[in-house]
Amino acid sequence: MTTEMKSGSGFSVSRVWTMAAATVTQLVRMRILVFLVVLSAIVVAAGFLFPVFSAEQQLKMLKYVSFGALQFFSLVLAIVATALLLPKDVEDRTLYTILSKPVPRVEYLLGKFFGVMLLIGGGLLLMDVLLCAVLHLRQSLVLAQELAFLKQGHATAEELAVEAARIEAQGVGWSLQIGVLAVFLKAGVVTALALMISCFASSTLFTVITTFCVCIIGQGQELIREFFFHRTFDAAGEKIASGLFAVLVPDLRLFDVIDQVVAGDEVAGGAALFMTGAGLLYMAGYLVVAHLLFVEKEL
Amino acid sequence: MMEAATQTSANRALDAVTVTGLTKVFKSGLTKRAFVAVRDLSLTVKAGEVYGLIGPNGSGKSTTMKVILGLLAPTAGETRIFGRDSKEVTSRSEVGFLPENPYFYKHLTGLETLLFYGRLCGLSGARLKARAAEMLALTDLEDAAGRRVGGFSKGMLQRLGLAQALIHEPRLVVLDEPTAGVDPAGSRKIRDLILSFRERGLTVLVTSHLLEQMQEVCDRVGIMAHGVMVKEGRLEDLIAVENQTELVLENVDEALLGRIREMVAASGDGARVVRTGSPRTTLERLFLESTDEGGKGQK
Repeated sequence: MTTEMKSGSGFSVSRVWTMAAATVTQLVRMRILVFLVVLSAIVVAAGFLFPVFSAEQQLKMLKYVSFGALQFFSLVLAIVATALLLPKDVEDRTLYTILSKPVPRVEYLLGKFFGVMLLIGGGLLLMDVLLCAVLHLRQSLVLAQELAFLKQGHATAEELAVEAARIEAQGVGWSLQIGVLAVFLKAGVVTALALMISCFASSTLFTVITTFCVCIIGQGQELIREFFFHRTFDAAGEKIASGLFAVLVPDLRLFDVIDQVVAGDEVAGGAALFMTGAGLLYMAGYLVVAHLLFVEKEL
Repeated sequence: MMEAATQTSANRALDAVTVTGLTKVFKSGLTKRAFVAVRDLSLTVKAGEVYGLIGPNGSGKSTTMKVILGLLAPTAGETRIFGRDSKEVTSRSEVGFLPENPYFYKHLTGLETLLFYGRLCGLSGARLKARAAEMLALTDLEDAAGRRVGGFSKGMLQRLGLAQALIHEPRLVVLDEPTAGVDPAGSRKIRDLILSFRERGLTVLVTSHLLEQMQEVCDRVGIMAHGVMVKEGRLEDLIAVENQTELVLENVDEALLGRIREMVAASGDGARVVRTGSPRTTLERLFLESTDEGGKGQK
């Protein structure tokens, strides 16, 4: 019998918010924002690097470097910050004072999860605004330069319009925002996974290493299914093994739309919806397992 | 029969804590070897009294407290707080807990810490602010309200722990080694607070190794060893030397003392003077007077 099974306390959004806000404050005061400032500086610098490339390539490189910074920021925070939170509260006995108040364990876990997600979401939003501003500015500059250059070469109006459309396709658009959403969803899945692992892990290091390994496997899930399961099992066995594997290890390739976004291609609405649904499903699944583990945890 | 059961149930509701047949077994390591931390323990803490649970290290005091607070699930038996099963999260709305050597979020200030715990207990707005200010005043931490908890001394942390335990006006306060590692002035302050809780009608369940201090504050004590209760009762009854009477006189000369001795000797019935001499002050009182810390507390 768990300590929560007979809980008569109703779920409180306000308590979850209190936990989440405390988690954000904790991480912000741990100087996490310095990390954000450094990565933002890389985004700005990327806007003015690569001057020898063509106009289109310059904008692509800016997006490529920026999305690299966004992914780095969100994944490092998702793994390291999450892995740190629960063991630290146990070690410092802060958990005792929190859970001896009328706080159900599920609210504590959700508070920690939403706290990390708020910080990642806030950071990504700031970097997204910065990226859009730098990209818009850079696009305007290279467009003006390209058109001026073409005009000098007596290009026709039609040629100018084609070139303008080609450069504008690399600018700020909805696909860019879907790319940022993909980064956020991927970070959400990794955060929920790290939280689940930290519920049974014996140390922060174990959580960090295990989550990192699962992320690497998740990134190459398709390859593993193709090379190992296809050769080892028959058709039915392969299906079962692939299904189990997909449940245990998140398929992080689902969130890799960055190449499309950098190429300036549109991300289909259906694909974006599928990605969002899969991300939310993974998060919900990991959080449910995390709760089941945490509720049984002897403190 | 039904009436008797209703009566028992009503009595239970009046008691602050009831522990009935509590057994707690821990299983650890790969072999899952069982360790019995508490064995068939029963005790009752009546509303409004200060109950001391004492015993050597590993006697099961802290485990018992954790089960009462719902932090651990009992292997057998049950614990109740004001009639509510400890497994119910709502039972904790009546309890304030101070763990041994408490640590709080280092990044929060003293005031922010109290606001955080107050919000977890459902307090908000002006009432929360007023309550936090009141608790800071009660524990002499007004000057430290804006300081980060990371810079607090051990005594200050202990008093902040008391403040957070009381923030939601609980009817029961559970204190685990409240004076451990605190200097004499800080310790005196904490004991004075415990005595003031009794005056205000609060119930206190306290554990400590410092038996003299427990003797000063407790109404009743339970002595635990090897996970079982070996002795329990009113402190006065447990420590009184029943066949002796203490008489303290002031400004008495040697002649009067002589006459008293003669009267006692003449009374017969085995009456005799066991010892005479000047009562001694305590080392604690001497320390507090010498260092002028008696009324100041520890800042």
